[in-house]
Amino acid sequence: MKSILQKTGLLLILLIGISSANAQAKKKADKATMAWRYEIEVVQTGTQGNYLIKVWSFSKKANVAIEQSKKNAVHGIIFKGFAGTQTVPGQKALLTENLEEDEAEYFKDFFADGGKYMKFVTLSTDGAVAAEDVMKVGKEYKVGVIISVNVSGLRKQLETDGKLKRLDAGF
Amino acid sequence: MKNRYNKGRILAFLLLITTSFAFSQAKKPTLMVVPSDVWCNTNGYMMEYDNQGTKVKVPDYKRAFQENADLLLVIAKIGELMAERGFPLESMEGALKNLSSESAEDAILQSKGGAGITESPIDKLKKTAKADIWLQVTWTVNTVGPKKSITFILQGLDAYTDKQIAGASGTGNELIGATLPVMLQTAVLSHLDNFNVQLMAHFDDLFKNGREIVIRIKKFDSWDGDLEKEYDGEELSSIIEGWLTKNCVAGRFGAPDVTENMMVIKQVRIPMYNEAGTALDARGFCKNLQKFLKAPPYSITNKLMTKGLGQASIVLGEK
Repeated sequence: MKSILQKTGLLLILLIGISSANAQAKKKADKATMAWRYEIEVVQTGTQGNYLIKVWSFSKKANVAIEQSKKNAVHGIIFKGFAGTQTVPGQKALLTENLEEDEAEYFKDFFADGGKYMKFVTLSTDGAVAAEDVMKVGKEYKVGVIISVNVSGLRKQLETDGKLKRLDAGF
Repeated sequence: MKNRYNKGRILAFLLLITTSFAFSQAKKPTLMVVPSDVWCNTNGYMMEYDNQGTKVKVPDYKRAFQENADLLLVIAKIGELMAERGFPLESMEGALKNLSSESAEDAILQSKGGAGITESPIDKLKKTAKADIWLQVTWTVNTVGPKKSITFILQGLDAYTDKQIAGASGTGNELIGATLPVMLQTAVLSHLDNFNVQLMAHFDDLFKNGREIVIRIKKFDSWDGDLEKEYDGEELSSIIEGWLTKNCVAGRFGAPDVTENMMVIKQVRIPMYNEAGTALDARGFCKNLQKFLKAPPYSITNKLMTKGLGQASIVLGEK
């Protein structure tokens, strides 16, 4: 009986430890997003209303990096833009003004877990990552995930929320 | 009674808000997609005519629209995406059809007393497809063995200043077996967002620094004065420049080309709204200049002609 109790306690501590480590990793990943610590490569932009991009995210836990890639993809398209290749044009950031600090409260909610950003992303490979897209860099993993972002919907959302000016604003 | 009075006040307040909102909208430029001369020439959509001994080639847009489905696809796709962004395009094909049916109607229109429609040579010249911003498209198909790719160019040209205000271009992936319409659609989708970023920057510039227009001052040969005529020791051309300095946004206009008979002033930055909050264009702005010249001490009768939002000509001496 005592042994069962001991084992259950140990398991509980282990579970708490794992979930706390995950939460810690997630927090760090969120910080990395806000510090622009991710890389974006273009895959395709020629489909209506969507950009297909490969996002490289960093985390001590590969699964956290994969999940964080969704946030990074939307963050990158709003604030960073991405360079093109010889055959696929790059795109500028949706927001050219530095609204990230001025509208910190709005974007905190927008990028919160389960926030509005989720409406505009889909993992194009259902979360499966090619072996060559998972790299160990020091103590961290650098994971590349292909993500489809509904830019047209994202732009409309930002316009509706008054964060982005419409093309016909003022006319 | 009091309730009725309150309702009246609310109604008046709503009316005031609606009116000021209507006034706060600047005049929206019209956009039209047109195939470039290079595209028309490459694809054989040109017509040739004899202009006093010189052979002149001009694009045959009507035939291009009637015969080339790829052109329609490109225009339709650009139109679809621009409408999504709040800028529905004017159709050039529709404008050309409209012009020819209008000409036919004008030719046979008669009043009950037998009078026809008055049309001066200038009126006839002005009867062309018009837009404030032309979206000029060009594409070429590059073939290397079985592989094909498309080089796509989209230019936004201001119809009045002839400036390129936005542009996007590039060559897409080399593909085997892809059809031309699919490649063209991909090209439009890939480039239009970048094009719109530049178009947005242009509109921001308009609202910040004023609409850029071109003003031409000319004189009728029947008028005995000219632009060198002095009023209180100052030449008329300098007086006009002085008026522009006072009325342009931050007094900005380009160095004018001046002779005794004409004056061309480019890069004239006019406010988007007048003091009353009404939207302003070249016509509204130059009406004020027209009034200024008509009033004493100058008392110059003059004729104002405009072209769209951004070009105006004032001819001095007569109406």
